[in-house]
Amino acid sequence: MSEWALHVEGLTKWYGSTLACRDVGFTVAAGEAIGIIGESGSGKSTALRCIAGDVRASSGRVLLQKEGGAIDLLELSDAERRGLRVDTLSIVFQDPSEGLDLRVTAGGNIAERLTAAGWRNFSAIRSRARDLLDRVDVPIDRMDDLVETFSGGMRQRVQLAKAVANEPSLLLLDEPTTGLDASVAAGVLDLIRSLLETTRVTAVVVSHDMSVISMLTSRAIVMHQGHVVEAGLTDQLFEDPQHAYTQQLVSAARG
Amino acid sequence: MTIAELVDSSVTVEFAHLDEQSKRVIRRAILTAVAVPGYQVPFASQEMPVARGWGSGGLQVTLAAIGPNDVIKVIDQGDDDGINAANLRRLIVATTDVEETTDAREATIIQSRHRIPEEPLTSAQLLVLQVPVPEVLRGVERDMNEMRRMHAESDYSKMWVSLYEDLVRNGVVTASTGYPVLVNGRYVMATTPIPRWDIPQLDNAEFLTLFGAGREKRIYAIPPHTKVEPLTFDDVAFEVEITPGATCLLCATSDTYLIEVPSHHGWICSDTDFCTRKRQDNV
Amino acid sequence: MGYAAARGGLEAILAAEDLVRRKRTEGSSAPLEVDQITDRLRLSVDRVMGEAGLWAPELAARALRQAEGDLVEAAHLLRAYRSTRRRLARPVTVDADELEILRRIVPAYRVPEGPQLLGRTLDYVGRLLDTSDRVSTGVEEATHAGTEPQVLVFGGETDRRPERLLEQLRRNDLALDRRRSDDPEPYDINVHPVRPGVPRSARLSVMARAETGALVNLWYRNVLGPDGYIREITLGEVRHGWLPVRVEHPATGQPVNLGRIRVTETEAIEDLDGDDEARDHFDVGYGMCVGHNERKAIAMANLDIAVHRDGGRSSLEQSVLMTTDGLESSGFLEHLKLPHYVTFRSMVERKMSLRAVASGERNDDRAAAIEDEEIRTEAVVGA
Repeated sequence: MSEWALHVEGLTKWYGSTLACRDVGFTVAAGEAIGIIGESGSGKSTALRCIAGDVRASSGRVLLQKEGGAIDLLELSDAERRGLRVDTLSIVFQDPSEGLDLRVTAGGNIAERLTAAGWRNFSAIRSRARDLLDRVDVPIDRMDDLVETFSGGMRQRVQLAKAVANEPSLLLLDEPTTGLDASVAAGVLDLIRSLLETTRVTAVVVSHDMSVISMLTSRAIVMHQGHVVEAGLTDQLFEDPQHAYTQQLVSAARG
Repeated sequence: MTIAELVDSSVTVEFAHLDEQSKRVIRRAILTAVAVPGYQVPFASQEMPVARGWGSGGLQVTLAAIGPNDVIKVIDQGDDDGINAANLRRLIVATTDVEETTDAREATIIQSRHRIPEEPLTSAQLLVLQVPVPEVLRGVERDMNEMRRMHAESDYSKMWVSLYEDLVRNGVVTASTGYPVLVNGRYVMATTPIPRWDIPQLDNAEFLTLFGAGREKRIYAIPPHTKVEPLTFDDVAFEVEITPGATCLLCATSDTYLIEVPSHHGWICSDTDFCTRKRQDNV
Repeated sequence: MGYAAARGGLEAILAAEDLVRRKRTEGSSAPLEVDQITDRLRLSVDRVMGEAGLWAPELAARALRQAEGDLVEAAHLLRAYRSTRRRLARPVTVDADELEILRRIVPAYRVPEGPQLLGRTLDYVGRLLDTSDRVSTGVEEATHAGTEPQVLVFGGETDRRPERLLEQLRRNDLALDRRRSDDPEPYDINVHPVRPGVPRSARLSVMARAETGALVNLWYRNVLGPDGYIREITLGEVRHGWLPVRVEHPATGQPVNLGRIRVTETEAIEDLDGDDEARDHFDVGYGMCVGHNERKAIAMANLDIAVHRDGGRSSLEQSVLMTTDGLESSGFLEHLKLPHYVTFRSMVERKMSLRAVASGERNDDRAAAIEDEEIRTEAVVGA
């Protein structure tokens, strides 16, 4: 495989004696998007949150390629991990309130990420925020409105704009369109696809929805009861599922 | 000293009110504060004969630092004769017998609430500021553990967001007194509340400034020659309080921090010592 | 303009002090003696000692007199006095099992091990205002005419150091045993400041010295309030009694008794029901404060266990540690009376500045920049 950007191996998380995910592993090339599909409770979101560091993994390695060599995200201190979240690793949550401060304007939310990265020029911050919001199709005249006045789809767009504000090398998306109306979800999905295509960002997309995974990713892994049961090219996985569980998923989706 | 004397409550109190053990605790905190400019050092604040919130922190700092040869000046709102100032000065002088003055040039220690004297202070002088609310992050964060983390990691983006939002909503930074400053490029710190007018005096100052917060049990410092930058965007000027055309009714100056006198539709200097000397041509 | 500065701070203070002094001796009644206060206003004296964190009945009575009955003010006088006193020795930690009870009730059982000793309490005295001019001793004489005071005990002997209910719960494996060895020396809040994350002993010390009303309110707010985290506990023990005070003898190193103080002690039995908790057990919160003050000790025990169970999920610990001290809250509140004209002037200036920008009167570069943006925005929206 060409230059990898993210390499996950043996990722395991126990909550007491309850297993959330076990021995999850995959490798993602720079600029590639990989999917993790499974039903709720399959451990896919836990795995993603372990990669992000919001949940502390029980064991495993999460290697991220950076200038000067790979680092293991699981070995970082909390402070180092938070530092990484400013401009290297971004996560987009299903619930926008996790990634946004709803009591702050759309522009202010982006300003938070920019000032954390050292931006100190008001006009430059305004201009950058405006460009980003424009890119995610948030009307510019809503830039100075509090995010709590926004619809769900619009909030998700602002969250995306904030997540890519500092051009992270790794973007984690956790059920980014779940909970949105179908038409709104389709729009957000298009947006994510164009963001992934137009940037060099490496992405991990978690979803229970096959259409999301097939639209955004070229390769995917299937998780069931905490384990990876199948992995491969997204098209093939869905065309010709091998594992019984994947077959079940596919037939349910075609229902 | 005998046991009988030790337990006899009529034995007079020690120099500068506090016992030496308490003073050492405060001095250690002061030294730490000077070593780490802008960092709020927790200390075991003692109960003072003034209410918490009435200068008990500044008082402890002054009493821990003062020696018999010091000359003390105490001001409240710039006024030597303000009730809080008069009260604290009386207490300091009564327990130390040091000389007192209103002339900012003569004082070796100046304890103040809400102002820095207009007269530029020198390296031979110590400024002690009384602090009601030491935590600069309280406006943007309420959880103390989170505030500690933010300071530790220099994570001040919430402060910047609030500045940004202020500008967007109001067109100006509306923060009035107690304006946040970045000290030595490291810690963001609250400026007691002194007016913005006084903040330039703190930057690269000749003198040491000690901040005492008795109720919240924090001491912090700006050592001499320390960089102090008001928090603002590169392209948004930091503004001090200036009212065009305002001059002092008494000394006619326009170049001091002026306070309004509605009854006379005019303004006067908040720094009474400076104003008095200005009228005597003694500045 | 004829402006004359109205000043004279020192004169005003001296005049106020003179008025206070006069008021204290005003009226025709006899001056209030210290022993009258310690004898007749026992609960006030206890409360002042508790909030001052100092056992000194006579000094507390003096403080109460000087403060004209203001409890927080009296506690302040006593604490400020204490802070000027040299520490002569550090007391040896005493086991609370040594408490010699004057009163003990165990609401959790009808007939517990050891006595239900009602002792002296206002709990069962009818709340009927005594409007007669007889001094209160007259009432008591009528009741107890010529007899020794009765000690009414239900169940068990008048054991003055009964085993606590918690011991029995532990023996029956009904209560978690959270005794630990890594916090042996109580945290001294007079020497070390507190902030969230301090050991439990610091939390208990803060509550022991807290303002009674503040603690009761925090408890009640957490029972009824919108952000409440507390449910009603069952009281295991409510005790009031004597505890010895010990120090190490400077020559022999042996502990010696210096005297004794009265304290109130409570244990609050908490019903564990959380997913991550030992649901087949109880846990216990603890309260102890100087003097006879059951309200405070009970609120304290319930808050102690509530903070433990909360485990940092809410801001309850911060509320307990940082907001219950009477001197701090009162001092800060009263500081609002101090002159604030320097800060207010600055605030007014900002209001004017904001208006100038809003009305377009002030049009500096940045305002212009935002305006430009708005024009661009309109163009974008229009397009």
